[in-house]
Amino acid sequence: MLEADVEVDRRDFTVRARLTVAPGERLALFGPSGAGKTTLLEVIAGLVAPRRARITLSGRVLTSTGKSVTALPPWQRRVGMLRQDPGLFPHLSVRDNLLYARTRSTSGSAGAELAELAGLLEIDRLMAAMPARLSGGQAHRVALGRLLLSHCDALLLDEPYAGLDASLRRTLTDLVVSLVAERRVPAILVAHELAEAQAFADRLAVLDRGELLQVGAPGEVVLRPAAHRVAELVGYTAFVPVPGSGPGPGSGPGPAAQSLTVAAGSGSGSGSDSDSDSDWDSGSGSVPGSGSVPGSGSGPGSGSGFAGVVAGIHPDRVISGRHPDRGLVLAGIVSSCRPAGALWEVAIRAAGTTVTGRLPEAVPTGTVAELTAVDPPYFDADGAAVVAAAAPAGDHAFAEGARPGRAGVEK
Amino acid sequence: MAASPVTVTPPAPGQNGPGGLAVPRGLRNANRSLAVAGIGVIWLALLGPVIALLTHLSWSSLTTALGAPGAFDPLILSAESGAVTLGVLLLLGTPLAWALARGTLPFPRVWEAGVLATLLLPPLVVGLLLVFMVGPYTAIGHLLSDLHLSATDTFLALVIAQVYESAPYYVLGAQAAFGSVDYRLEQQAALLGDPPLRVFRRVTLPLAAPGMAMAMAIAWARAMGAFGAVVIIAYHPTGLPLQIWTTLQETGLPSALPYALVLLVVALPLPIAAYIWSARARSRRRS
Repeated sequence: MLEADVEVDRRDFTVRARLTVAPGERLALFGPSGAGKTTLLEVIAGLVAPRRARITLSGRVLTSTGKSVTALPPWQRRVGMLRQDPGLFPHLSVRDNLLYARTRSTSGSAGAELAELAGLLEIDRLMAAMPARLSGGQAHRVALGRLLLSHCDALLLDEPYAGLDASLRRTLTDLVVSLVAERRVPAILVAHELAEAQAFADRLAVLDRGELLQVGAPGEVVLRPAAHRVAELVGYTAFVPVPGSGPGPGSGPGPAAQSLTVAAGSGSGSGSDSDSDSDWDSGSGSVPGSGSVPGSGSGPGSGSGFAGVVAGIHPDRVISGRHPDRGLVLAGIVSSCRPAGALWEVAIRAAGTTVTGRLPEAVPTGTVAELTAVDPPYFDADGAAVVAAAAPAGDHAFAEGARPGRAGVEK
Repeated sequence: MAASPVTVTPPAPGQNGPGGLAVPRGLRNANRSLAVAGIGVIWLALLGPVIALLTHLSWSSLTTALGAPGAFDPLILSAESGAVTLGVLLLLGTPLAWALARGTLPFPRVWEAGVLATLLLPPLVVGLLLVFMVGPYTAIGHLLSDLHLSATDTFLALVIAQVYESAPYYVLGAQAAFGSVDYRLEQQAALLGDPPLRVFRRVTLPLAAPGMAMAMAIAWARAMGAFGAVVIIAYHPTGLPLQIWTTLQETGLPSALPYALVLLVVALPLPIAAYIWSARARSRRRS
């Protein structure tokens, strides 16, 4: 069990985090670059001195700044760290690198274990090679093998595979996952790519500017971000104001109780939904594009009802067509459509903001399209999730009482 | 939209493809030969003194000069004092170079400037100042005489002068060698369980060794050839450079030349060996 309660100063902010990782558990620290993720790992490894911390690893106190001060040096922590640079010793052969931590006291069973691990990592034919001759993937395998042969009590992986291609990254991730399970050591992976964090972890922690925003299952954090900022970090690219959600006149009973349609403005020829009985966008032909930012509802629109709640739109959680029973329907003019991998990235202008979705089929630019954001999370003006906690995924709470609202469309 | 057929037009003859330089092959070869010849002239000019030495040396003068009784004494003295100098540099210069390279010292520029100062002072001036520092009437001189030592015209004085003349070459060279070792490798070694001294022995030192060997070789050559400071505080006992000087003063140029060859022969092998060894160590890492 690795328990870390850390407060460490960075140049422009303080990293504060409390983490508990059970033996065999894999925690991914996810966040943008410069969020303090690596600093956190370095504090656990003893490479950076914290302002205040208490770190224990399987009962041993590694760092304590409380009444009894402890600061074990890195070489006594038994914490293994793998970075993007595999850090092989260039003057030692692969074999000597692997056996680096096996000094006199521990060299007894090294031979058999070395052979077994080398076979598992598929580096058994490289034993005599010097590190400079290895490919990137091979070097990472050797670094991983060296870490495992050192019998460390915790694994810290600092974006270890950032420079490698996707399939190799996948293989190595799977390898680490199975080895962590087998060794039953706590493991922390730092990643700034969500897919990598999800592929590795059974728990995901979102860190931003030194603050731990959310910890949860890898799927849950993406589907139910606890805050506006988390949603941004996990890939929600647009935040559309939800009609009738604010405290102003005409506000509805809250987003959970209604089906929502954010439609294109009149004259756009959008057909069925372009009736002009809008009750919440009057006088605001153009909703500020930044209406998604928490607290920005203090503008002229705030009185007319959409100040509060915004819905987060994730491009991968958008389907084409009108499906009010599955979430939030967005209608707007297609402003661009371009290939994105095997899908098409379609952008529409709706609710004063650009909403993108990745769809299996192209949609002609300039036409009106309807998209449904499947079960989107909602956030209030302070950025906190509002409905997310109350409405579990798959709940069709939005099916009843469809009451289309409208947002102006900028052309 | 109808797909338009794509046509690829081959470049017309005589035109160069994109990125190619329009230099005819013959001219390119001539250019290259010219460049090699130019570099060769510079190289020969640098080697000029060595060539002159070898061409002006006659076998008979070599045997008469080196056949005299005690002719090898200066050589032995220089080699001994050079070895002691090297030991002192290794012992004192290595930690300083390491600290400078790691940047762990407060005000690192000040420390570096101090090392550079000894390099920038002319050796003759260093010698003069050493008299004021370790001469018989100074505090250090008194201390030395209490220990029945003297730093004037003694072996100790010779070593002190050589240390001052060669130290900056060693310290700066070793600093560069340590600086080329990635500190993250040292961190990695520590995380794998090695305390600092063992990290130094197993990682830092082997990785810095080729560069340090070169620094030592240069320091050795400087120590063997030290003259400016030596002539002030260690005129006796006579090392090789002073032997050359006195021979030149007393009997002229031709009889001084054999000693110059000896100095070359003694001072060069170590740098050459160090160079070969470090080049091989580096290539071994790449294979």
